[in-house]
Amino acid sequence: MAQIQRPKSFLDSLGEEIIRIITPVSICMFIVVILVSILNTDSSSASTTINNIATMAYAETTSDSFWDKLKGALLNSLVFVAIVTVVTFVLVLLFYLRCTQFLKLYMGFSSFIVLGFMGGEIALFLIRDFSVPIDCFTFLVVLFNFAAVGVLAVFMSKMAIFVTQAYLVVIGVLVAYWFTLLPEWTTWALLVAMALYDLAAVLLPVGPLRLLVELAISRDEDIPALVYEARPVTNHHSGSRDGVAQRRLWRERRNVGNDSEENLNSESSLDSNLTNGTVDGGHHTTRLARAEEGQLLERDAELSAPLIDRRSSVQVHGQGDAVSSESLLLEGIGLGSTGAIKLGLGDFIFYSVLVGRAAMYDFMTVYACYLAIIAGLGITLMLLAFYQKALPALPVSVALGVLFYFLTRLLLEAFVVQCSLNLVMF
Amino acid sequence: MTVAAGIGYALLALGPSLSLFISVISKKPFLILTVLSSTLLWLVSLIVLSGVWRAFLPLKSTVWWPYALLIVSSVSFQEGLRILFWKVYKRLEDILDAFADRVSKPRLFLTDKMLIALAGGLGHGVAHAVFFCLSLLTPAFGPATFFVDSCSQIPFFLVSAIIALAFVTIHTFSMVIAFNGYAEGNRIDQFFVPIVHLVAGLVTLANFAYGGCIVGIPLLYLMALLTLLHCGKMVWRRLTENGSTQ
Repeated sequence: MAQIQRPKSFLDSLGEEIIRIITPVSICMFIVVILVSILNTDSSSASTTINNIATMAYAETTSDSFWDKLKGALLNSLVFVAIVTVVTFVLVLLFYLRCTQFLKLYMGFSSFIVLGFMGGEIALFLIRDFSVPIDCFTFLVVLFNFAAVGVLAVFMSKMAIFVTQAYLVVIGVLVAYWFTLLPEWTTWALLVAMALYDLAAVLLPVGPLRLLVELAISRDEDIPALVYEARPVTNHHSGSRDGVAQRRLWRERRNVGNDSEENLNSESSLDSNLTNGTVDGGHHTTRLARAEEGQLLERDAELSAPLIDRRSSVQVHGQGDAVSSESLLLEGIGLGSTGAIKLGLGDFIFYSVLVGRAAMYDFMTVYACYLAIIAGLGITLMLLAFYQKALPALPVSVALGVLFYFLTRLLLEAFVVQCSLNLVMF
Repeated sequence: MTVAAGIGYALLALGPSLSLFISVISKKPFLILTVLSSTLLWLVSLIVLSGVWRAFLPLKSTVWWPYALLIVSSVSFQEGLRILFWKVYKRLEDILDAFADRVSKPRLFLTDKMLIALAGGLGHGVAHAVFFCLSLLTPAFGPATFFVDSCSQIPFFLVSAIIALAFVTIHTFSMVIAFNGYAEGNRIDQFFVPIVHLVAGLVTLANFAYGGCIVGIPLLYLMALLTLLHCGKMVWRRLTENGSTQ
């Protein structure tokens, strides 16, 4: 049977990188929404407030007046942001003093705590709600193994990419779910405060995250941090394969004589001490940056992200262009590293907190906030392609999300319910 | 009435869109982005409309003419936005074509352009289904159900899912017709879309009368069928013309 082979359009792979980062963010948000709707409808334990660093200043109760709640929420969020700033500066100091081993151990320890204790608590809630017949020895063994594999997956990059990505998403889900247990006004104030902090920490010259990035650039090192890396796009249309996908390892490009401009990072150090349920947020990672430039050997590979036009960015480097392309060729043979977008885990967490909190009101707000956050992420990616430096990923998305939440809650809902109940639609 | 019923209603409204998404749209990442942005655009238009009409709500449900006004204003606003969408798309097409020339790949094919239009329409349709039907389905997952006067034989959720399905079809394929009409300068296509949208919206007013949905819903499906047929005819014509000239 003769088949007419349509020439492949370049539309087939356009924008693939963006989708590869939107998919895990959507999955994380989806799981948090499901968890929130399942676990919160049953429990009417609004009286037991979680003791947190986030509610240290003020424990909100439903009977307080408007101004009390507002003041309390602002106070809480200020305290939280202050603590986060202090911890980040400590992190910068430790990184400066080259205590990287200590940082890595600390990250591993906090991931274990998150996966083991927070994951265990949520599993217990689910077991209680669905009356799953499981005995505690099996449960403990399974939980311990789950947490141990998670720590290994997140910190040894030799594991299958999918496992690492899955565990990062799970960590994001668990932390986000715990944040949604905070009282309502505090959550919203916290989100706005973290977005503003993020903006300041990444863009101001004295901001801790910017210092961290510059330190990492100048030393050409990796910051030990919890970062989600999207799988780099492999071009299936280029001619040089025998059906075997090229293995891509990604690492920073060693740029001879140039400043490499990649930096990632986000470190999210989360330490949770379960006895008093404090959550120490050292997290931010709200920096989106691109890890690597495209390799000039495979010109076709650049098609895969024309929306983030890498070729022009290579030319932006100016002199040393020829040098860098040669060094890429020499390094790159057989390995083919294309750029991968990295998004910090803190971004996953705060996006999911926003959507989870919207889920506690109604599903219409969930859809509206989801679209707003994805739009914000898209805008941030565009800005990233435009400005070519590390950018905070929280502000735009959180701003749009909060805006859409309140607009939907105040305006849209009444309108749509009015129309739908009378079966008048357009 | 239980989780199964809730999922059933959701699939009734969104099933065809889901299969369209999985089979056609998910293969090309750019189309997924198009769906997301057109859904966002529809949501924004809905928020603007609700902002304008908020002061007048709640409307009395015995009188039908405020609703007619609401529908006419909303449809005209959305059709205006469709023209805006078209202009943005034209700009995007030029950028994409320039990029294609730069990397010496073939320019956008006709089928690519139609796929983008389809994705845009699907975004609109999905937004309609999500905001007018899915977001009200939350009580359907519980143990009871709800009936409205105008359609007292079947549950409210089922009625709204059926209406949403019709509108999804209309929105999805109208966009293909509209983009093609603007591209070719075909007056019939250009006027077909707003008129069908307006008529479909006004037909739902029939649901005001007691038992009115027996009249309203078949008429609505008639409009959806009309849209489908017209779109099919137009696409067939374009593709055979294109195929014969190559």
